[in-house]
Amino acid sequence: MLCIEAKSLFRSYGNVTAVDGIDISVESGKIFGFLGPNGAGKTTTMKLLTTLIPPSSGTITILGIDASRHPLDVRKKIGVVLQQPSYEPTLTVEKSLEKYGMMWDIDIKTRRDRVEELLTAFDLQDIRKKKNDDISIGQRRRVQVAREFMHDMDLLFLDEPTAGLDPSARRGLLDYIKGKVRDGLTIFFTTHILEEAEYLCDEIAIINRGKIIAVDTPDELKNKFGREKTIKIRIGQMQEISGMLQGVRNYDVSHDEGTVITIHSADSEQILAKILQVLQSNNIQIEDLSVVPTSLEEIFLTVVKNSNASSISSGK
Amino acid sequence: MHPVFRLVNRNLTISLNMGFVIWQVIFPIIYIFVAGFAYTALIHSVPFGSKSLNYPAFIASGMIGFNIMNSTLISGIIIWNDRRHGMFEQILVGPFTRAQYILSNVYTIGIIGLVSAGLITAIGYPIFFKSVEFNVLTIPLVVFASMTGAILFGSIASIISTRLKSSEGFNVVINTAFLFFAFVSTAFYPAQGAPPILATAFYLNPLTYLVDVVRVGIFGNFTGTVGYEMIILTVLAVIFFGIATKLLSRLEI
Ligand SMILES: Nc1ncnc2c1ncn2[C@@H]1O[C@H](COP(=O)(O)OP(=O)(O)OP(=O)(O)O)[C@@H](O)[C@H]1O
Ligand SMILES: [Mg+2]
Repeated sequence: MLCIEAKSLFRSYGNVTAVDGIDISVESGKIFGFLGPNGAGKTTTMKLLTTLIPPSSGTITILGIDASRHPLDVRKKIGVVLQQPSYEPTLTVEKSLEKYGMMWDIDIKTRRDRVEELLTAFDLQDIRKKKNDDISIGQRRRVQVAREFMHDMDLLFLDEPTAGLDPSARRGLLDYIKGKVRDGLTIFFTTHILEEAEYLCDEIAIINRGKIIAVDTPDELKNKFGREKTIKIRIGQMQEISGMLQGVRNYDVSHDEGTVITIHSADSEQILAKILQVLQSNNIQIEDLSVVPTSLEEIFLTVVKNSNASSISSGK
Repeated sequence: MHPVFRLVNRNLTISLNMGFVIWQVIFPIIYIFVAGFAYTALIHSVPFGSKSLNYPAFIASGMIGFNIMNSTLISGIIIWNDRRHGMFEQILVGPFTRAQYILSNVYTIGIIGLVSAGLITAIGYPIFFKSVEFNVLTIPLVVFASMTGAILFGSIASIISTRLKSSEGFNVVINTAFLFFAFVSTAFYPAQGAPPILATAFYLNPLTYLVDVVRVGIFGNFTGTVGYEMIILTVLAVIFFGIATKLLSRLEI
């Protein structure tokens, strides 16, 4: 079943087109990652999908419900952690979780159990009695994300939930999310942090200037856009090998720990074969050979750069 | 529980703190007991229709209206804080509609207004009980004035909270406005005998109407003028409530 289905969504603010005709479909039980540079339109898309703002045009179906006709029915079934912080300054951490549960009409017994569970899961036990006004920004973010798990939902939207979290809190949150997905939750997740998307997401869409420029699984994205591979060959002795490698292109030699030959090219395999041949015929031992996998980050940068270039050349 | 009541529950939880209670209870007590009795040396009695009231009784009854007005600042503060701390968006992306959010604020104002009125009536009662003329007509008058006044001033505070961006601005504007309402009114002194310009200014101020209706509710002496005052109070409450609702329902996200 499709949890999110959006067709030709447009949204502008004055003369800025923040979302420029995008289609999104997310299957239930999946984690969908939404990546893009600042100002790409991620938050706007999320506000559209969560019925916070209406689209200029286009259709949105969330959990089978027409979002423009029945926005309240949609909101009752989803959870949303906005990019913008939100908190009740005068309430303590535990009270704000408890009250949030009350706002969602969760019975008091369940509320108490969940508060305890979440305070532990999000490492908030030590500050449970502190007021939201008196805790750090990262702690507040954790409270905000934890709070959303006070109620039941079929679909959760997270707009850069890990912004401001330290590495261990971040990992803790990602693992908590993974656990929830195993229990059947579907997640729409925006981030700038590529490793995060890679670690978490089943499918990734990259958005730039309001348009989706790539959608696929992280592996497929790498296959499609990540043909440029980096291969490192280390040989023990300090060797001047440039002479031997005449005619081979797209490599680099450095001499920090022994001699390292780095190949960076779309057809690095062929170059590797040539270099190996040369090394063998010169009886040079290879100490280490490693393929540096293309990171999603590189793909992201390439894809966004290409899309900017093509929109400039097409006169936009 | 109905969504509106869940929001009211939340509103009351976030607003009822020590500072607010001090504001709502201690200040009126100081006015009634300190100012009220201190001024008796200067003011022996205050004419009230065919009656004459002692000053503590006069000011204690004035404090009821004053307190209703102050308590409704809450609605402005709630909206203001919700916008500033992101809860406005968070609520609207939850299982609530804007209409329910607005309605919950109205109920919150109503509840706090009535409780404040009740509280000050209880505190002031020993002081004005000699002149009290409660009957079937008067008690509903006090309740009517409390509710209409609460909605009127709650709407004014809400309007200010939706119009301003910086937090200093909000505090300055709201305190100035409410200071004007408080002191240019019949809450502390009667219009009869005041210089004509001031007396006119009193009647450009909705708190005057609120206080006058409350006083009639407590001391009796219902006249045609009070009838007009009730109408004006109602009309103003409807107009300001309309404006507040409109602004709130258009508030950008
Ligand atoms: N309320 C608003 N009024 C006017 N323009 C807006 C508003 N919100 C967003 N925009 C514009 O819409 C575009 C998309 O903004 P959006 O917030 O969706 O980006 P984003 O991808 O979430 O960026 P970030 O990574 O910085 O959060 C930007 O050009 C932004 O300036
Ligand atoms: Mg954003």
